[in-house]
Amino acid sequence: MKTTGAIDTAKRQLVYEVISGGTGLILALFMWGHMMFVGSILIGTFGFDWLALQLEIYFIAQPTVVVIFSLFLVHAALAARKIPAQLEERRKMIRLGRDLKSQAHEESLLWIWQVRTGMIVLVLGSFHLVLLGIDVLTPLFGERVGIESVTSLARVQAGLWLPYAVLLICVEFHASIGLYRLAVKWGVFSSLGRKTLRRIESFILWLFLGLGAVILLVLAGVIPPPLAFLATGGAA
Amino acid sequence: MIVRISSTDVLVIGGGLAGERCAIEAAAAGHDVLILSLVPPRRSHSCAAQGGMQAALGNCVKAEGDSPDVHYLDTVRGSDWGADQEVARIFAEEAPIAVRELAHFGVPWTRVKGGPNSYFIRGERVEINEALENDGLIMHRDFGGTAKWRACYAGAGTGHSALYAVDSEVVRLGVTVRDRAEAVELIHENGRCYGAVSRCLRTGQHSAILAKATVIATGGHGRIYGQYTTNATINEGMGAAIALNTGVVPLGNMEAVQFHPTALSPSGILVTEGCRGDGGFLLDKELNRFMVEAEPEKQELASRDVVSRHMARRMRDGHGVETEHGPHLWLDIRHLGEEHLKTKLREVWDICQDFVGLNPATDLIPVRPTQHYSMGGVRVNKEGEAYNLAGLVAVGEASCWDMHGFNRLGGNSLAETIVSGRLIGRHIAKTIRTGGVDIDTRVANEAVKNAEERAARLLAAEGPGPGAYEIRDAMAEVMISRVGIFRTGEELALAVNELKELLAKCDKIVLRSKVPGMNPELTFALRIKNMVRLSLITAMGAFARTESRGAHFRSDHPLRDDAKWLNRTLIRWPESSDAPGISYEPVGVLDVPPGHRGYGRDERIEMEQSIEDYNQGVEQAQSEQGKLPTEGQQ
Amino acid sequence: MSGNNANRRLKFEIFRYNPQDPDSTPHMQNFEIDELPYMSLFMALNEIREKHDPSLQFDFACRSAICGSCGMMVNGKPSLGCRTQTSDLPELIRLHPLPVFKLVGDLSVDTGIWFREMAEKSEAWIHAKEAFDPAAQEDRMDDETAQKIYDSDRCIECGCCVASCGVANVSGEFAGPAGLNRMARFSMDPRDTRDDADWFELISNEHGVFGCIGMMACHDICPKELPLLEVYAYLRRKALTTALK
Ligand SMILES: Cc1cc2nc3c(=O)[nH]c(=O)nc-3n(C[C@H](O)[C@H](O)[C@H](O)COP(=O)(O)OP(=O)(O)OC[C@H]3O[C@@H](n4cnc5c(N)ncnc54)[C@H](O)[C@@H]3O)c2cc1C
Ligand code: HEM
Ligand code: HEM
Ligand code: SF4
Ligand code: F3S
Ligand code: FES
Repeated sequence: MKTTGAIDTAKRQLVYEVISGGTGLILALFMWGHMMFVGSILIGTFGFDWLALQLEIYFIAQPTVVVIFSLFLVHAALAARKIPAQLEERRKMIRLGRDLKSQAHEESLLWIWQVRTGMIVLVLGSFHLVLLGIDVLTPLFGERVGIESVTSLARVQAGLWLPYAVLLICVEFHASIGLYRLAVKWGVFSSLGRKTLRRIESFILWLFLGLGAVILLVLAGVIPPPLAFLATGGAA
Repeated sequence: MIVRISSTDVLVIGGGLAGERCAIEAAAAGHDVLILSLVPPRRSHSCAAQGGMQAALGNCVKAEGDSPDVHYLDTVRGSDWGADQEVARIFAEEAPIAVRELAHFGVPWTRVKGGPNSYFIRGERVEINEALENDGLIMHRDFGGTAKWRACYAGAGTGHSALYAVDSEVVRLGVTVRDRAEAVELIHENGRCYGAVSRCLRTGQHSAILAKATVIATGGHGRIYGQYTTNATINEGMGAAIALNTGVVPLGNMEAVQFHPTALSPSGILVTEGCRGDGGFLLDKELNRFMVEAEPEKQELASRDVVSRHMARRMRDGHGVETEHGPHLWLDIRHLGEEHLKTKLREVWDICQDFVGLNPATDLIPVRPTQHYSMGGVRVNKEGEAYNLAGLVAVGEASCWDMHGFNRLGGNSLAETIVSGRLIGRHIAKTIRTGGVDIDTRVANEAVKNAEERAARLLAAEGPGPGAYEIRDAMAEVMISRVGIFRTGEELALAVNELKELLAKCDKIVLRSKVPGMNPELTFALRIKNMVRLSLITAMGAFARTESRGAHFRSDHPLRDDAKWLNRTLIRWPESSDAPGISYEPVGVLDVPPGHRGYGRDERIEMEQSIEDYNQGVEQAQSEQGKLPTEGQQ
Repeated sequence: MSGNNANRRLKFEIFRYNPQDPDSTPHMQNFEIDELPYMSLFMALNEIREKHDPSLQFDFACRSAICGSCGMMVNGKPSLGCRTQTSDLPELIRLHPLPVFKLVGDLSVDTGIWFREMAEKSEAWIHAKEAFDPAAQEDRMDDETAQKIYDSDRCIECGCCVASCGVANVSGEFAGPAGLNRMARFSMDPRDTRDDADWFELISNEHGVFGCIGMMACHDICPKELPLLEVYAYLRRKALTTALK
């Protein structure tokens, strides 16, 4: 019964599964960090620029862009294996998900939405990453190599706020439900029970959506940095 | 028309515990085995058994001193001396082995927990220290009519777990199973059985299966009581019926019908005896524990026939809770606590929630006695061989191997299925003839053609005529109201007449649906005549037996009569005759002389013959009835 | 659960198709019956068959939610017909056969064959060390282990979980929720001698536990309330720890 071939396949499958889940987890955690980083704008451009500079001086930003972009693509490629190839199959899943949703079961339909948002994230996220890659690694944007508040503000206000808003919603939804699913699938925090996990999931979702929205509004110049008072003595 | 014929060494009709356990034995010995079943084997009614399986392992404190001897005595007493004591002896001795073997097959038996345990016994909470050296052995629970705790159990899903374990062996051995197939006729000629005609329940097509040994393991026939039974809708007795239809094979003790005290009212869904075994009470309308007074010794745990009668009387005397579906009493298991109910009685918990929407930890459960078990069935000898027809074998509830006599003890029938399946399967494996099935295919062709014509005739009938479901409802009413817990000669005579009329009606059935393929109305219509025939012989047997024994209670003859009725009813229905014939044989060699059961009424008519004289006549009398000599024993 | 809102007139829309009848095409058929107290779909369907259309096919055996015969789609949700009380449903009740399984006719599907194949593929039986010894006392097992196995053993193979799982609906190879549960049941049984490597091979692939994408419908739908999600977590962790060893 035991065949080396089968064992190898099993090992490979395990590795794929761990990588797709693991990259998802890392990406989700990165997004929390990302939120903190971009959130420095809430203090004002001073905070933002100072942080950006630190990250570049210590060579954190440059490799991060490359690593995150790779993880992003690996995750997308591996996760996409689970998406049924045929239209008819996808339709079947959607129909089932809708019927079950009407019977007080949500997670099936949420998976469909996870795929849909994942697709959007793939497109918009790739664009964003390429953009930031250029920003971080080349002198093409702004006055120096790297991220500066001037360029960021200008970009967002020039119209990027719209794709960013879409990206924000999609990525937060996708990541929070992804983390919830990950916890259930591997039985982490299972002692809390699924209901509680679901509640934590939506708390995280709304928290980051809210935070992201405020950040985006600041970047778009609609509201002033709400935490500017923290930067006493700064040049803001 | 081409007749499809296939052949095998052993054809097992029925994929319940008995049939599958038997099939395993034959397959393990290298024989080609084919199982036919109305449903996928795991859906057989064995899966519904909840409470437990009797085997004298003696593993816990309350089982100390238990042994096959004690089990044997309990079984004979339970049977009200109607059992074949030799068979009961074999059974009690083999049961521990068969139960341990199930552990080997994977049944997750509930185990003894060494150290302090808290149980409910006779209404009181008792602390008992289980010996540490017994930790991890198979645990027992108390059941009705037993001297010791003896029922081995897996939660409240004993039958389910046992059936799944046994079926997984069937899968392991690669035994072919044809599910959604119904045996509708036995192929036989000159006193030998050659297999059966099977009707496919997917397509409605008939085919012949030839076999060297044919095993009937089709379970009980509670559905002759219509909805007034705990049995599944598939327990319609077709195995017993096709044996009866051979004209030569007798059915034994058909009047011995068990009513279970605690079926849900009104649905008839069973709530296991394990509830009372674990300390549950029966209460009447005024919330009195009437069983304490009625049976001071065993209380709620007297045998089922006794408890059911007390309940029926209680309700008749106006102490039942009246509803639009008739009266019921209460089962109280609230004091066992939610924890116990959700683990050891999990299936009961589910059933209460699902079917009456109540919580057994806080609510009383509405129950009433309901038809439950068929002690009667295809009469077989010790080796499981049917009378008068070589090559035909029967096991399990479909058979009358006769370890239950006139009342089966709770937990004894699951145990019977695996003990008899094991022993009789082995016997088949040993005695089966080598080489092909020596039969003229003409006989098989004819049998198939017969079956096809029956179906075609039904489909062709036009005009006004009775419907099959109508006849079923009428039959059920006759059975429950006239052939129920309390019987009288007068009522039974009426029943016999009414059933005869219904039987005549069966030939005039007109179907409303003529769709080809699997026509469900046709399928049922093909069975209903057989069911009425079984009902009729049940009523006739009950009418003739003018005594009260075990579950058969005649209000007009309330005493057990060992002078006249220490015997077994045999009913045959010769082909081309419109009336069955009744005869009797001694119950078997007596080892335990007839006496008081230890519960129920202690008054009876004593034997006149000496035990020695009785025993001497057994062998010859049974041979005259057609008990086959056992072939090929070493 | 309550049996008290009688007097409703129930409208049924039932899927009809008889593959044995060349004139039959898949369609929905409407029936109306009066609701009774404590009416289950078992009672309702029998009434429809006996009073309205005797050709209607469906499966019931135990009518007490224990044999697993009567899985069907009730308003889009896989359910046991015998356990479903009409009082829990709206007036309009749509019934379809379970997807995934082969259709026998109308509401009747071939679950038995699916489960037998699953059992064969995953070798769902005890791989015993030695032959049974009739003379020996039973091997010991502590009651907690027995209870744990029993919790998993309670599956009645009704197929509701399989029908509810998006993956099982599109991939014929996936062991499905009930299949994964069977594997777990045997893998935690100390009597089964299969070692970690054997299990690893069976569990760790896209037909095994990694086929599951966490849609969780199986767990929410299982009429026996099996802790299926815990089962998958157990299998995943088992695969991981085996590989790390
Ligand atoms: C609700 C309930 C609870 C019970 N609880 C207990 C208990 O706790 N302890 C105990 O000891 N006993 C109990 N019993 C009794 C016990 O379960 C049965 O007596 C026993 O399981 C019968 O097993 P069997 O193999 O003879 O028949 P079954 O399990 O009924 O199997 C019959 C088989 O025959 C097949 N079949 C029938 N007719 C045909 C045909 N014409 N052609 C082909 N196949 C056919 C069916 O498909 C099925 O596979 C209980 C019974 C009921 C009803
Ligand atoms: C920043 C971007 C992303 C983050 C933070 C992220 C996060 C996650 C997480 C945490 C999971 C759960 C993993 C699991 O259950 O095993 C997940 C699953 C998934 N992701 Fe992403 N993801 C991102 C981008 C994408 C992209 C671009 C796609 C493109 C299609 C995608 C498609 C999927 C799919 C289909 C799943 C489900 C996989 C499964 O259930 O096995 N994700 N993601
Ligand atoms: C290392 C990689 C990344 C860097 C350096 C980076 C940097 C930035 C910067 C500087 C901004 C400000 C706006 C701008 O300058 O255009 C921003 C905004 C944003 N980024 Fe990223 N980003 C990275 C990866 C990602 C990824 C992977 C995603 C999601 C898929 C993402 C989603 C967003 C969103 C939604 C905004 C809008 C701000 C908000 O509303 O929070 N970023 N990012
Ligand atoms: S796991 Fe639950 S839903 Fe699935 S087959 Fe078993 S009992 Fe049915
Ligand atoms: S629904 Fe299917 S995807 Fe997994 S959690 Fe259940 S098996
Ligand atoms: S009929 Fe047995 S589960 Fe519904």
